[in-house]
Amino acid sequence: MSTSAALTLEQGAAQLAAIVGAEHSIVRGNKVVAAPADVQQVAEVLRFTSANGLTVMPSGSGTKLGWGNLVMPDIELSMVRTCELREHAWQDMTCTVEAGCSWSTMQTQLRRHGQMVALDPLWPDRATVGGIIAANDSGALRLKFGGLRDLIIGMTIVLADGTIAKTGGKVVKNVAGYDLHKLMTGSFGTLGVIAEVNFRLHPVEDHHRTWTVAAPDAALPDAAFFAAPLRALMDSQMTPSSVQLRMSNDECALDIRIAGLPECLDEYAARIQSIGGQIAVAESGEEVWEARQQLFGENDALVLKVSVLPSDICAVSSVLQQWASAAGLKIAAVAQATGLMTVALSPALDVAITVVERLRAKLVDLGGSVVALQVPNSLRGGIDVWDCNSDALPLMREIKRRFDPNRILNPGRFVGNI
Amino acid sequence: MLTASQIAGFRAAVGEDGLIIGQSLLQTYECDGLTNFRVMPEAVVLPRSAEQVQAVVRLCAQDKIPFVSRGAGTGLSGGALPAAGGIVISLARMNRILNVDLANRQVIVEPGVINAHVTQRVSAQGYFYAPDPSSQSVCTIGGNVAENSGGAHCLKYGFTVTHVLALDVVLPSGELVQLGSSTLDTPGYDLPGVFVGSEGTLGVATKITLRVVKRPEVVQTLLAAFDSVQAAGQTVSDIIAARMLPAAMEIMDALSIEAAEAAVHAHYPVCKGLLLVELDGPRSEVEALMQAVQDMCRHNGAWEIRVAQSEQERALVWKGRKAAFAAVGRISPNYIVQDGVIPRTALPHLLDEIGQLASAAGLRVANVFHAGDGNLHPLVLYDQSVAGQEEKALELSYRILQLCVDNGGSITGEHGVGKEKQEALGYMFSEPDLATMQLVRCAFDPENIANPDKIFPRPRLCAEKPGPYVPHPLETAGIAEIF
Repeated sequence: MSTSAALTLEQGAAQLAAIVGAEHSIVRGNKVVAAPADVQQVAEVLRFTSANGLTVMPSGSGTKLGWGNLVMPDIELSMVRTCELREHAWQDMTCTVEAGCSWSTMQTQLRRHGQMVALDPLWPDRATVGGIIAANDSGALRLKFGGLRDLIIGMTIVLADGTIAKTGGKVVKNVAGYDLHKLMTGSFGTLGVIAEVNFRLHPVEDHHRTWTVAAPDAALPDAAFFAAPLRALMDSQMTPSSVQLRMSNDECALDIRIAGLPECLDEYAARIQSIGGQIAVAESGEEVWEARQQLFGENDALVLKVSVLPSDICAVSSVLQQWASAAGLKIAAVAQATGLMTVALSPALDVAITVVERLRAKLVDLGGSVVALQVPNSLRGGIDVWDCNSDALPLMREIKRRFDPNRILNPGRFVGNI
Repeated sequence: MLTASQIAGFRAAVGEDGLIIGQSLLQTYECDGLTNFRVMPEAVVLPRSAEQVQAVVRLCAQDKIPFVSRGAGTGLSGGALPAAGGIVISLARMNRILNVDLANRQVIVEPGVINAHVTQRVSAQGYFYAPDPSSQSVCTIGGNVAENSGGAHCLKYGFTVTHVLALDVVLPSGELVQLGSSTLDTPGYDLPGVFVGSEGTLGVATKITLRVVKRPEVVQTLLAAFDSVQAAGQTVSDIIAARMLPAAMEIMDALSIEAAEAAVHAHYPVCKGLLLVELDGPRSEVEALMQAVQDMCRHNGAWEIRVAQSEQERALVWKGRKAAFAAVGRISPNYIVQDGVIPRTALPHLLDEIGQLASAAGLRVANVFHAGDGNLHPLVLYDQSVAGQEEKALELSYRILQLCVDNGGSITGEHGVGKEKQEALGYMFSEPDLATMQLVRCAFDPENIANPDKIFPRPRLCAEKPGPYVPHPLETAGIAEIF
C-alpha cells in the first residue's frame, strides 16, 4: 500500500476481507486483490478505499490491463465474481449482464434465442463485458452495427465514493437524462466502476459468407491498390457486415463479409466480383476475421490503434508498409472500413517509435489519432501512449475532478494523465 | 432585467440586426412547440458565426445571465422555453452546409440547418441523413442534437447521437472546444455522446459533423388493416421474432387514423389498428422479406394489405403518419402530445391500462406508436373551455408516463425532458442517479446559466453535495430493485 500511511497491506486485506470474504481478498505483490460478489459489495469496497485514500484499479480478466499508462494501485477491484447474465428479454431484444461476465459466456446464452450483442471484441473467451466497455474495444462488425456507444442502452455504475447510480434504461429508445453510459464507455475505469450493463440485441447473422480480394501481384503488394475497389464497395448499395484490409510487409488483401438470405448470397458474390474487376475474388473461411487478434500475439510487438478517415485507410496502410520496410521492421495491420486500424510493429526497437511519431505528424494534416495499446516493456516511457491534443482536455479533467475528486480510480492511466 | 450596458454588449456582439428587444417581436420566442409554458425573454440574439456565439456567451458568463439556445422552436417538451431574466440565442442564421465529404459519408453543418436540407443536399449522389423526426421539414440539426431526436426510421438507423461524429461547442464559460472528431474513437471521454441529448444544458453547438447513409437499393412500404391495435402489435412481435429489422414499424389506432384522414387524406383503410411496415435494402432481400411480412399480417387477421406501388404512394402513407399530431387538432379543440417508451412486449397490457385510465377520466386518447422500439405517442384529447378538463388531461398524461416507468420503460423516447417532464424524471431516476448526472452538468456549467431549470426535478447548485442514498419509491414498493 503506497499511498496510505495508516494501513499496512495486511490490514487493508483484512478489512477488505470483512466486506468480500477472506477467500476473495488476497495480497498479491504490493496490492490487495479484492473480488466483490455484487454491486453492494463494490460500493462498500469503494467507500472503504475512498475513506482511506487508497487507489483502485478495476479489473476483469486482465486482457487489456496493459493498455493506457501503467497504474500501480493499492487495490485491484476484480469484477470476475459478478458474472451472470441477469436478464434476457428476448422478445424485447434487450439483456442485462453483470460486468464480470465473459463476452463468450454472454453470447452463448443469448444465442439460445438467436440473438447477440452485435460486437466482436478481442479475446471474447476471456475478456469481460466491463473491461471491453472500459477500453471501448470493437471489431469488424462495427461497420454494420456501430460501436459500444450504439449498443449500450443502460448501465449501473459505482462512483469512487461508493454511490450507486443508474443511467439509461432497458428500452432502446430513451432520451431521459444524460447518457452517462456513453461517458463511461472508453473511460478506462477513471470515472467509476461499471457494475452492470443493459444492451440492445440483434438477430444472429445465420447466413453469411466472406470473400477475399487478393492483391494482383504478390511481388508488389501495395495497400494503396485497394482504394478504388474499396470506395466502389462502400459506395454500392450492398450492406456488408464487415470489411477489412489486411496488410503486412509482403501481403495485402481485402476481406468482405455479407449476411443475408441464403438465396441472395450468390447474387452478392457476383456483385463483389464485378467490383473487383479483373482481380481474383475467392471465398474465405471465418478465420480471416481473427487477424486483428493475432496482431497482439507477439509480446515483442508494439501494437497501435490508429484511427483515420475511412477514405484514408489504404493510403495510410501503404505509407506504413513503406516506412516499416525501410526501417527494417516487421509490420502487420488490419484496417477496418470504419477507419479504425490495428497496427503491429516489431521488434520493439526505437525505430518503431520513430514510425509512430512520423504517423502522428502525418495525421495532424489528415485527421486522426494513434494510441499505443500494447507497449513492450523496452519501449515503456519512450512513447506517449495517448498523444491527446484535444482542446477539450481541461473539460475532461474537470469531469474527472467532479466524479473522482481524490483521484483514487486508475489515477494517471488515461489521456492527459487523468 | 438587462441593463443598458448589457444590451449594448449584446448589440456589439451580434450587430444591430442581430438583436431583438422589442416586446412584440420577443413574443415569437416566448415558447416552443409546447405552448402551455411561456416566458418572455429579455432579449433574443441571432448570431451569424461561432465567434458571435462566443461573444454573447462570454457576456452571459461574465454577468451570470441565463441563456437558452433555440433552433426552429419545434420541440415538444419546452426545451427552448426562455429562462426568466435571460436571453435566447437563436441559431436560425447559422444555416450553412459547410462541407460534404461523401468519400467518408460526412456532412458538416451549422446548427441552424434544417434537417431535411441535409438529405436534399446529398440525395443526388444516393445518400440520405437518417434521423427523421416528424418535423424534419422545419426542425434544425442544432435542435436535433439538443434533443437527440429520433423519428420513425431510428429502429434500424439509430438516433441523432448515432449520426454525430463531432461538434464545435461554445461552453457556458464562452470557451470554444471541439468534441469528438471526424475519425472514430478520439482519445478521451466520449463527450459528443454526452453532449447530444443534453437539451442545451451543456453549451451551444456551432458546427456539427454528421454521418450520412447510402440510400438502400429499394424501399417498400406496407399498410395492413387489423381489427385491433393488439393484432397489429402481435404482428410487430412476429416480425421481430422472425429476426427481421425493418426500417420502420408504426401503428395508428382508429382515432389517429380518423384525424390523419381528415387532415391529409392519406387514404388509409378505416380500421381499429393500422400497421405500417417499411423494409429497405437490396432488392432480392426486400422482396423476399416483404412476402413474409404479408404472410404474418394475414396470419394475425389483417383484412386489407397494401404495398405502396410508387414513391408518391409511399410519400402519402408517410405524410399521414407524420401529420398525425397536428391532425388531431381536426378532431379535438385541444390535445397533449405524450412521448413514452415501454418494452415492446408490454404494449397490449399498457394499452388496456391507458384505455381504463382514459375512460375513468372521461377523455379520449389517440395512439400513435413507433411500434418497433416501443415508443408511444398517446395524444390526450380535451376541451380547454370545459372547466377542469385540462387538469384532468394533464393528470392523465402524467399517469401514462408513470405507467411507462412502471412497465420498465422511459418517460421520453425522443421529445426530451425539457420543462414538461422534470417531475417525471424524478419518478424514473433515483436521487443518486440524478446527482451523478448533475456532476456532468456542473463540470460543463458550474454557474448553471445554460438552459437552467430544465431536465432535473429541482435546481441543484454545483457546490451542493448529494445527500445520503434514499431509496426510490419503486424500490420501497418492491416493484424495482437497485440493480
